[in-house]
Amino acid sequence: MKNVIDVKHLTKSYKSNKAVDDLSFAVKEGEILGLLGPNGSGKSTTMNCILSLLKFEAGEIKIFGKEMAPDAYDIKTKVGVVFQDVAVFDELTVYENIDYFCGLYVEDKATRAQYVEDALKLVGLEENKSQYPKQLSGGLLRRLNIACGIAHKPKLIFLDEPTVAVDPQSRNNILEGIKKLREDGATVVYTTHYMEEVEILCDRVIILDHGKIIASGTNDELKALAKIEEKVTIEIPDLAPEKLAGFDKIKNVSEVEYDNGILKIVYRKGKNNLIDMMEYLKENMIQYNKIFSERPTLNDVFLELTGKELRD
Amino acid sequence: MFWHNYKYALKALCKNRMLVFWTTIFPFILAILFNLAFARLHDYDVFEPFNVAVVNDEAYQNEKVFSEAFKTLGEGDEKLFNIEYTDKDRAEELLENGDVDGYVYVVDGKKKVKIKENGTNQTVLTMTTEQISQSAKIIDDIAMSEIAKSAGQPVDVVAIYQNAVKVVTEAEPNVKDESHVMNVVSVEFYSLIAMACMQGAMLSCEMMNRCMPNITNRGKRVAIAPTRKGIIVASNLLAGYTMLFVSIIALIFFTRFILGVEYGDNIPFICLLAAIGGLTATMLGMFLSVILKTRESLKNVIIVVVTMLGSLFAGMFGAMKMFFDEMIPIANKISPVGLITDGFYSLYYYEDMTRFYINVISLVVISILLFVFSIRSLRRQRYDSI
Repeated sequence: MKNVIDVKHLTKSYKSNKAVDDLSFAVKEGEILGLLGPNGSGKSTTMNCILSLLKFEAGEIKIFGKEMAPDAYDIKTKVGVVFQDVAVFDELTVYENIDYFCGLYVEDKATRAQYVEDALKLVGLEENKSQYPKQLSGGLLRRLNIACGIAHKPKLIFLDEPTVAVDPQSRNNILEGIKKLREDGATVVYTTHYMEEVEILCDRVIILDHGKIIASGTNDELKALAKIEEKVTIEIPDLAPEKLAGFDKIKNVSEVEYDNGILKIVYRKGKNNLIDMMEYLKENMIQYNKIFSERPTLNDVFLELTGKELRD
Repeated sequence: MFWHNYKYALKALCKNRMLVFWTTIFPFILAILFNLAFARLHDYDVFEPFNVAVVNDEAYQNEKVFSEAFKTLGEGDEKLFNIEYTDKDRAEELLENGDVDGYVYVVDGKKKVKIKENGTNQTVLTMTTEQISQSAKIIDDIAMSEIAKSAGQPVDVVAIYQNAVKVVTEAEPNVKDESHVMNVVSVEFYSLIAMACMQGAMLSCEMMNRCMPNITNRGKRVAIAPTRKGIIVASNLLAGYTMLFVSIIALIFFTRFILGVEYGDNIPFICLLAAIGGLTATMLGMFLSVILKTRESLKNVIIVVVTMLGSLFAGMFGAMKMFFDEMIPIANKISPVGLITDGFYSLYYYEDMTRFYINVISLVVISILLFVFSIRSLRRQRYDSI
């Protein structure tokens, strides 16, 4: 598959603060690439540089094989952007907003009318098309924001934290919509600090911190970077201190924490972890209720690589 | 693409209640308030002369044109004032006791009015003093210009002054004549129309903000669209100008045909100047919007301050025009507000249209310069931060 975006050695500073530091990456046609990082890690700045909205000190940006510039209209025709902040006209209805922004790309009225209807359907706003933005809930407003950005059926879509402060129903709708866009052939660059969304959506993830790539790969590749294998949570209403100390001695256990009847065990990489733990419970006749086992998350990867949480 | 953007820009603008109020409704409200305030001037049956004092000191007597003109207002059957000539202390005492509604005095060549409270009589006194002061200044200007033309040849200064007075008084009918009172009112409405024109700066700033990614989120979306910035900017500005133009023309016709303000034969010229003035204000708003690298709210405040300062210099809020003409002569020669108001004043004062057309041409030139500079700044623009 060919590259839709090529970024080489991109560097951008805000005064003395380096927001993007010698960043290089590529986005392949048809994939959903996640740009994951905490607030201030350079995700939005990277996106705005790619879109030629921001000046940058060094680097080369190509989209569809051509150099991106403010007047690269042939490239812009194929690009759609959903910004983090809602960017619609309060004075226009839902339909008019989508029609207006779509009209900046598509001149033919009949085609545009169909595109607007498709966008309304994609984000589930068919019943709200006569309403004004102020009449919409936060979640519906976000959906409108997305519809305005993708109505012209772009081949490359940038989504900058599109689910910030939305209700679960709208979030699901948005994520489903993004999957649908990819199914229709679009390449998607998805910036977020919600690791769960990245895990659900993205084929490949780039983790940013302080404007640098600290890791990249598929979800599984990134999780393989984590030193932990799994996290096990067990409900044990009553656990004697000497029995608690015994958990530390089980093979591959790296951390043990017991609080308020909940035992949390973190395992290093290794085999038969759960079996060893079950045997210990049985041997020591420890009464337990439920057991949960979790695989490491991207947050664990980030924590290991940077020493801080993604949401810090 | 142009008309698509124009259609929606105009639609959004017309539904923006705040902008519609300040650019369209507010001038109408002011027009109605002006009309109510000046209503007594139309009604000669109820208009009685009222008492004023004049500080008749050396400074006052030195202002010969002004003092002579003011004197006529206290003479005849249809006099405007009952004038008592006195010294400053006595004038102050009369004002304190409520025996006069105000008194007139001259300090360093500047004509001043002191009043104790606000009311119709006080407004008439202030307005009339200002009017006569302006006329006296024009007479002086005309006379000085004639003297300068003589290029060192002996001249009859008295004859020149008499001629200048004739020119002004012919352009300005006798002060006791009803048509003059109407003209005094008309001048106030000229100022109102000029102020309405200047609202174009606010409108165009709003329209520009909509296509600037460093100011609004909608600007970001517009900036990444494959539409030439020039098309977006031009269609947005045209939408703003359309709304402004319709508002100003409606205001002119409302004041003329509903409120009955007398503009004489000047209506086509007023419309022309208002159209050009509105265009210049639109370009000024665009220019300020482009050069001011600050957030939207602060930008709006700066634009209001700039236009209000221009209005102050241009005398839209009283007799400040002459003061600023003397203090900063260049200000009103290059300020769009100054040129608009001067254009309206020239319609009122001069039979000859030369000065009016000079103002119109100056406004067109300034509009072109502001537009060209703004567009050059906007082209291929990328931002340090957004």
